[in-house]
Amino acid sequence: MIRVRDIRKSFGSIAAVDGVTFDVHRGEIFGLLGPNGAGKSTAIATCTGQLAPDSGSIEIGEAGSPRAARARALIGLAPQQIALYEELTARENLVFLARVHGIPEPVRRADELLDMVGLLPRARDRVATFSGGMQRRLNLAAALVHNPTAIFLDEPTAGVDPQSRTAILDVVQRLANEGRAVIYTTHYMEEAQRICSRVAIMDRGRVLAIGTVAELIAEHGGDSVVTVDSLAGEHRVRTREPLREIERALAEGGATAVRIEQPDLEMVFLALTGRRLRD
Amino acid sequence: MRAAVFLALKDLRLLMRDRAAAFFTFVFPLAIALFFGYVFSGTTSEPLRVAAFVEQSSPAATMLIKALDEDGGFKLTVTDARAAGEQLVRRGEAVGLLIVPATYAEGIDGVFSGGGAKLGLVVDPSRRAEGAMLVGKIHEVAFRTVFATVGDPVQFARVLDRMEESLKASDLSFTDRLAIRTAMSRARTMSTKGADGSAATQSQSLADWKPVSVDIAELSMRPGVPANSFAISFMQGIAWALFGAVLSFGSGIAEERQRGTLVRLLVSPMSPNQILFGKALACFVTCLATEWMLVFAGMFLFRVEVSHWPLMVAVTLVTAFGFSGIMMLLAAGFRTQGGTQGAGRAVLLVLAMIGGGTVPLVFMPPFLRVASNLSPFKWAVMAAEGATWRSWGMSEMLLPLAVLAAIGVFGLTVGTALVRRSI
Ligand SMILES: Nc1ncnc2c1ncn2[C@@H]1O[C@H](COP(=O)(O)OP(=O)(O)OP(=O)(O)O)[C@@H](O)[C@H]1O
Ligand SMILES: [Mg+2]
Repeated sequence: MIRVRDIRKSFGSIAAVDGVTFDVHRGEIFGLLGPNGAGKSTAIATCTGQLAPDSGSIEIGEAGSPRAARARALIGLAPQQIALYEELTARENLVFLARVHGIPEPVRRADELLDMVGLLPRARDRVATFSGGMQRRLNLAAALVHNPTAIFLDEPTAGVDPQSRTAILDVVQRLANEGRAVIYTTHYMEEAQRICSRVAIMDRGRVLAIGTVAELIAEHGGDSVVTVDSLAGEHRVRTREPLREIERALAEGGATAVRIEQPDLEMVFLALTGRRLRD
Repeated sequence: MRAAVFLALKDLRLLMRDRAAAFFTFVFPLAIALFFGYVFSGTTSEPLRVAAFVEQSSPAATMLIKALDEDGGFKLTVTDARAAGEQLVRRGEAVGLLIVPATYAEGIDGVFSGGGAKLGLVVDPSRRAEGAMLVGKIHEVAFRTVFATVGDPVQFARVLDRMEESLKASDLSFTDRLAIRTAMSRARTMSTKGADGSAATQSQSLADWKPVSVDIAELSMRPGVPANSFAISFMQGIAWALFGAVLSFGSGIAEERQRGTLVRLLVSPMSPNQILFGKALACFVTCLATEWMLVFAGMFLFRVEVSHWPLMVAVTLVTAFGFSGIMMLLAAGFRTQGGTQGAGRAVLLVLAMIGGGTVPLVFMPPFLRVASNLSPFKWAVMAAEGATWRSWGMSEMLLPLAVLAAIGVFGLTVGTALVRRSI
């Protein structure tokens, strides 16, 4: 659905995106995971046609370049910066966007989306009166008015509480289940781990690794740590096969508690860059 | 195309929700029109400071001075030498020096046999607007005293008719004619009020009479002369209406950029040209709406007359088009909302001020009148005056309309190209 080949984009001497290649298929949630300044937003901007890449190509389904009018009808974008008219109500925002897209029955469509992100009770309130999390949810709904099939969500959960986050992640999951292609940027690795079918780890404009979460962890995550508590004290073991280690401990006897710490994407990032994802 | 209309509608809705922007587009111009209308009609609370010199004392002269003194609209200083009075004017301590000539008493006696009383007035040339007010007020009071002496409304009305005839033929300056008309209309109102009542109500109406500015509106319009000061001030208001509209929409594109909503529009199926068209359309509609609001307010409240409806329609359309072009140039020139509202506002403010927004075009000293040609606001105000009290025909209207249309074409092509490059 989304085909990105070796795109590059520099701002002066900063290579914000430095040769990025990936594919996103229908029904897939593709995570772009990376720290601040990794180039995630710039990659999204080039993929959605806001910026022309310096080199490389992007294709949106059959429609080709994202700058083509036909492709733009397929693209849904929730920018990182909340992009709403604060002086309009939630419903007015969505109705306006639906009209711009030529959607029949724009009011019905707006209410459908408001319901989906749980804002229907606040439909008649101005966006300026919304909390950050509510604005985030509306920002997501605004990306979906025209039923796009290639959806770009740039940090859709930035600054929201756990409840709003769950609501947003549910919506994203549903979009993928409906057969859309979703690109999802974040620097929360738990989130990527939870919903992304595949993840690309980005740093300094480059993609360091791509794969399913399990693949990435298996390849770059390193050992699990098994901790066995016994009367003799605590005993920590690094191992690729934690279950076997536990079996052994139980067989020895005397164990009062057993814990496994499995490697996560954080460890993957550490292994790939030598730095932590968030400091 | 339909998307652009929806974009324009959205912008209009945003304008109405933005209290400050809506105020400067709709309320402020009206306030300016009212303010200047009252200032020039001479009903400000501040009394005019006037010097007076009586060449030769007579009962008529004494009566006039007394009436002026009691009027409340003046602060009268009677000097006993002409030079002393002129000195007061020169020092700016008086707007003008009223000279009651020795022939005044004689003139009053001859008013109804075809003659007339003459008064002299020396005004400070730099205070022409106040001078015009002064002339009006002096005429008004003078009429009142004449009327009080004679007390015959029918004959008085006849005198007024005759004066109006001679006024049409006279080569008096614009301000003098405006002032005399205002005065005559007031005198006429008074005299008709008295004519259909008893002697008691007649003197009652005289005693109660206060210069109420709305009265002047009862003058019917004559080609080339505004019926009253509101005919001028409401056209001035148009400059401020356009100022407000252009300013709020000129920063609209910057605002969408800063808010991030421009990205949404660019990712939508709208082309950049359609987006800019929508912006220009919203500005165009707002300019039209506020222009007509002023025209209608002037018509209904102060009997400002439109001399030529088709031309008025053309004027408002072309003006709105021209100023949509200016809006686009503003958007191209200042990329941030702060820039537009700061530097952009300053530039527009100067243009609106020299374009007739503060000093009306007809009162402008020559150098300012030349400078005002550089201001698009001048052409808008001029065209609006042309379709109202100036009673212009198509041929006279051609130049301002052509200038405004050219500004529109230039602004919309160049401005759009520049903005497109920046989005
Ligand atoms: N318009 C721009 N002009 C100049 N430099 C830019 C511009 N946009 C991005 N950059 C630079 O490109 C690099 C990548 O920025 P980008 O916004 O893509 O990062 P990001 O991964 O989205 O970060 P974050 O998690 O903070 O959103 C940064 O160094 C940034 O300073
Ligand atoms: Mg970003």
